[in-house]
Amino acid sequence: MKLELGFIEIKDIQFSNECKVENGTLFVDAEAVKTFVYEDDDVKACVKSASFDIARPGESVRITPVKDVIEPRVKVEGPGGEFPGVIAKVDTVGSGRTHVLRGMAIVTAGKIVGFQEGIIDMTGPGAEYTPFSKLLNLVMVCEPVEGVHQHEYEHAVRIAGLRAATFVGELGRSVTPDEVKSFETYGIKEGIEKFPELPRVAYVHMLQSQGLLHDTYVYGVDAKRSLTTILYPTETMDGAIISGNCVSACDKNTTYHHQNNPVVADLFEQHGKTLNYVCNIITNENVYLADKQRSSDWSAKLCRLLDLDGVIVSQEGFGNPDTDLIMNTKKIEQMGVKTTIITDEYAGQDGKSQSLADADPLADAVVTGGNANEVIVLPPMEKVIGTLDYVDKIAGGHAGSLRPDGSIEAELQVITGATNEMGFNRLSAR
Amino acid sequence: MKNARDFLIVTNNPLLAQCMGDCYELSFFPDCSYREILVKVRDLVYAGHILYTHPLSGSVKPNETPYKSIAVSKAPHTFSAEQAGIIAECILAADKFPPRTRALGEAVKRDFQLIDYTLLAGALEFDAAAGLSKIKNHE
Repeated sequence: MKLELGFIEIKDIQFSNECKVENGTLFVDAEAVKTFVYEDDDVKACVKSASFDIARPGESVRITPVKDVIEPRVKVEGPGGEFPGVIAKVDTVGSGRTHVLRGMAIVTAGKIVGFQEGIIDMTGPGAEYTPFSKLLNLVMVCEPVEGVHQHEYEHAVRIAGLRAATFVGELGRSVTPDEVKSFETYGIKEGIEKFPELPRVAYVHMLQSQGLLHDTYVYGVDAKRSLTTILYPTETMDGAIISGNCVSACDKNTTYHHQNNPVVADLFEQHGKTLNYVCNIITNENVYLADKQRSSDWSAKLCRLLDLDGVIVSQEGFGNPDTDLIMNTKKIEQMGVKTTIITDEYAGQDGKSQSLADADPLADAVVTGGNANEVIVLPPMEKVIGTLDYVDKIAGGHAGSLRPDGSIEAELQVITGATNEMGFNRLSAR
Repeated sequence: MKNARDFLIVTNNPLLAQCMGDCYELSFFPDCSYREILVKVRDLVYAGHILYTHPLSGSVKPNETPYKSIAVSKAPHTFSAEQAGIIAECILAADKFPPRTRALGEAVKRDFQLIDYTLLAGALEFDAAAGLSKIKNHE
């Protein structure tokens, strides 16, 4: 399956009374985006208000609490559309051509529950920890209709963000991209014939699937209700996986992470050179232990069935997923397939505790995304998009986190994407 | 298949007790801490009860939420070293987070209860929304 991505570099965003992309500037009419977002019945029923703001790299701006980050894209050739099974119809994506508005994102923010989390600072020390400080962010702050259930509201805000991204992405349909890149993986036999000498490598992509505020959707299917299965890597790049995860800001995979998964990008970089990138194996992180056993058995079984030589395994979250991570790794190794895992660490504020809630001698190749317990101080920002009301409550914050001058002392956990377990961040250890 | 008749839910979550109490057997300890629930489950696993749900379910950290609910088998079976390992590692992992002394408001408590309840309901394939409507109808 072959996908072309046409990258349109966005260098500025301006509010305007028209909507277009011209010479690298996105002109956007916030009312038009809002109208499109509100065409959905669930958004209409659950979201009282949606207001828009722009945050640019280097500005003294703090966005919090962040729900999701989404890259605007549009399918211009081939089957399917953006976010299949959720926004577009459920046709298989991952082929044809998609235009990407690169350098920007839609960020959804606002309260979902009373301990809501996630900070993006656009400047200062906090900005160094989040990749989203480098993007032009069109932020949509949502507020709930009074009395609406949290699970209904989470769904509505998730859809609102995806609809805003779809609207903005559409503006890139007729724009000539600044760069076009193509990505292709092959059928089993075809791949072996093309690259007979290269090791067969796949990516075991673990999806957060524990429940309310901890979910991921694949073609609109809640990942907890799926058996471990296979995707072409280009399907992931083309919006097949979206985030419904609102918990643990530092190591949740936002929709932007799924669209721009660095493991997929790096495997494609080596594809046909040092390895044969076979496919992505997606598996879940359920709470029920028998589900874990079934899913990890299937991960290992598929690795054997595909005659793989090696896999990279990435997880999402803390605690419960550590068990899935180790089960996957151990069973895949026992099939004779080499593994390298990507995780982050909860090693205590001094970094001296054991990093994961599970371990096994077979999990002997590990890449870390950093210690989420590390304490940091974030200076005050001149402007806050969203609200600081929840800073005391968020993961890694504590009573007194928010100081009177607006600065925040908290664990790295508070920053969106700081210790991402796909490696989409700047922290690691050697 | 999951056998609801075999579930014993060990919990300190009053919302879960309200929503699921008439469908499942509960060991409800409203005054126990998160850690104390883990320890109670550890003792049950030592006694041979099967651990059905992961003790560290949820990415809400052990020092953030006071609530924890875990499903085990009603009856003891054979001791499993693997399961004993899981619960022991979870207690060690929970102990890494420094205790916090802040008082939680009622609305925040209710949200923490909701997350704990919905995660367990999802794991046991119990209709969480139906459970919530049931208590709403009683109010």
